[in-house]
Amino acid sequence: MPPVSEQSSDADLLRAIADGQTAALRLLHHRHAGWLRARLRRRCADVDVVDAAIQDTFVAVWGDARRYEERHADAAAWLWTIAVRRMVSALRGPAHRWLSGDSGDLPDIATTPSAEELVLLGVEHGALGPALDRLSPELRHLIEATALDGLTVREAAKLLGIPEGTAKTRLMRARIRLRELLT
Amino acid sequence: MTTVTVRGLSKRYGSLTALEAVDLEIGVGVTGLLGPNGAGKSTLLRCLATALGPDSGSIRVHGFDPAVPAQRTEVRRRIGYLPQNPGLYPNFTTYDLLDYVAVLKEMTDTRQRRAEVRRVLDEVELTDRAKTKVRKLSGGMRQRLGLAQALLGDPDLVILDEPTVGLDPEQRMLFRALISRIGERRTVLLSTHQTEDVGALCERVVVMSGGRVVFEGNPRELAGVADGQVWLSGNPPEGSAAYWRNADGLYRVIGQRPEGAEAARPSIEDGYLMLLGRATIAEVAR
Amino acid sequence: MSEWHVDPGLLQQYEQGVLNPSRVMAVEAHMSACATCRGRVPVDITWLTGNWSVVFDSIHAPQAGPVQRLLARVGLPEHRFRLLTATPALRWSWLIATLSVGALAVIAAWLAAAGETGGASRLFLVLAPVLPVVAVSGAYGSGVDPMHEITGTTPSAGPALVLWRAVAVIGAATALAGVAGLLLPGPGWYAAAWLLPALLLCTGTLALATVWSLQAAAVALGGLWLTGVCWVLGDRSEVFIPFVFGPIAQFVYLAAAAAAVAVLIRRRRHFDLGESR
Ligand SMILES: [Zn+2]
Repeated sequence: MPPVSEQSSDADLLRAIADGQTAALRLLHHRHAGWLRARLRRRCADVDVVDAAIQDTFVAVWGDARRYEERHADAAAWLWTIAVRRMVSALRGPAHRWLSGDSGDLPDIATTPSAEELVLLGVEHGALGPALDRLSPELRHLIEATALDGLTVREAAKLLGIPEGTAKTRLMRARIRLRELLT
Repeated sequence: MTTVTVRGLSKRYGSLTALEAVDLEIGVGVTGLLGPNGAGKSTLLRCLATALGPDSGSIRVHGFDPAVPAQRTEVRRRIGYLPQNPGLYPNFTTYDLLDYVAVLKEMTDTRQRRAEVRRVLDEVELTDRAKTKVRKLSGGMRQRLGLAQALLGDPDLVILDEPTVGLDPEQRMLFRALISRIGERRTVLLSTHQTEDVGALCERVVVMSGGRVVFEGNPRELAGVADGQVWLSGNPPEGSAAYWRNADGLYRVIGQRPEGAEAARPSIEDGYLMLLGRATIAEVAR
Repeated sequence: MSEWHVDPGLLQQYEQGVLNPSRVMAVEAHMSACATCRGRVPVDITWLTGNWSVVFDSIHAPQAGPVQRLLARVGLPEHRFRLLTATPALRWSWLIATLSVGALAVIAAWLAAAGETGGASRLFLVLAPVLPVVAVSGAYGSGVDPMHEITGTTPSAGPALVLWRAVAVIGAATALAGVAGLLLPGPGWYAAAWLLPALLLCTGTLALATVWSLQAAAVALGGLWLTGVCWVLGDRSEVFIPFVFGPIAQFVYLAAAAAAVAVLIRRRRHFDLGESR
């Protein structure tokens, strides 16, 4: 296992982490903790919850970096999914921990980058942008949580503090409304 | 500023005299304790580290007297000690071992203690080995771990007994760099029987022989002991006690000037050998 | 990737939360795919170091096991637990040795009980008091602790540490011997008869250890007990139980143990390395 440096790719760092190199985990943490924090803080006002979610994320990565290697997915998206799920599961105490499975259980790659998210890359220049802006905040938050954050409807409901059933209907309404606005 | 003051220190083991009336003052910076095996270096260090009570004489560390039980604890709060055989538990991880010594050093607050363990791991560059068991560490790493435990609690006085013994040249270099960094603002006292260590990193040298201090000064002064007594000669000298052939095929002679020899600049080693020769003569005369 | 990147102004607006929703989503969607823009998010280095140190500690620091959690519940602080776990005699090798001696005594007693009645448990009564002494001898000192010279020159060294560890190992050994005693055939009080002799031997060992090493003291007192008891057993077998474990004998053990404790308290300083014994 060659030594890692600032120049190592995320995949190399994760391989070194799986090999037990603390230095690699530190580099990965220093590379990603900043933007993860900025993004999580837009979803949760409690800074302690945000900081703890980031810490949890890297502790989980240390224990389970091998899982990443198997899947060859984008490391940043993978880290984000872990972090946002950790944060959601911490939102209303340990009783809701089951939402994200066992604490050592990292999300499958299949749930990370969605097709809708790729569409959103065109938000800046496409017609989707104005449509999203015209959506009511409660509908938009659901789109954001599911399409952009990669959360399940149940997790999105928890993040937004609404019942799961409400979340389901709102998400359906949001999709219909978006389609109307786009045509 | 003087950190350690030693006056008339003596220690015997049965009929063997390990220390005899040692007087010494040591201040901030790196001081090397040089001497052959059995010169009393370890005994002196163990007395200073409060591992051993002397038979007579006095020690003061920052004014505290280790002979008085209450003050001995004060001394221990201010020292870090790496014994010659530290006996680090082979089944502990690097982190656990430091955590344990930190507890022994009265760091009862968990958060504070962990921060301190992280700090020393960083200082000796073992952060990446925090989870490695001691028995899996290389000799150099183990020695750095020994140094790290001595540094816990940021002691003013760091006592290292033969810290460079058994290290290969590369590890020795790394270790020297570490020690000189540590000695920038602390008092470091290390024993060695290698003159290169002294030349490379000590501001002061104390030479011991037969339980006595036979020299105290800086490395240049130690070399100066052999001033006018070191010669380079083309032929093997007759009747000289110490000489050897160097890389140029010349004979380096210490003592009387051989016929037709040229004077050479004395090294630390020359001074050291000169002193040991004198000490041996004095020993025999007594 | 697209040519478009998040410029510093936009990033600042994003962080301040003043962007309209679609632009926020655009920034986030772009950042999850663009390492350059992720790297442009300003980070407070103090926060980063602090956050990392928590991660580092969670990975490396020893995790509290069931034993520690149990002891924490009865008031044993975490740092004290660390001191006790490094006690040589609390390692498995010592515990297994203690356990096997106790088990042997019980097995022997059961085997003997098949043929003979009454005197069958004598072997246990003879051996049980020695078990805690064997454990104490492994509590502290250069003979059993390879790190003794480091341990002994820290501010925690000295009588307090010796006694903490001695109490911990005596506790463990007594518990093991106690369980063995309950499995013993014969009168029920046998299971407790050895406790006072054990107390005397332990306190006596510690008191004697202010003169000799802990190991030498343990061998001396353990040996003395075994020789004495075996002599009584061989010479006056018929009065063995009342003579060695009867009420008078028990009272003598208690008084002697008290005397040993007094000596121990007076001479406790001598547990220190820096003290010439
Ligand atoms: Zn970009």
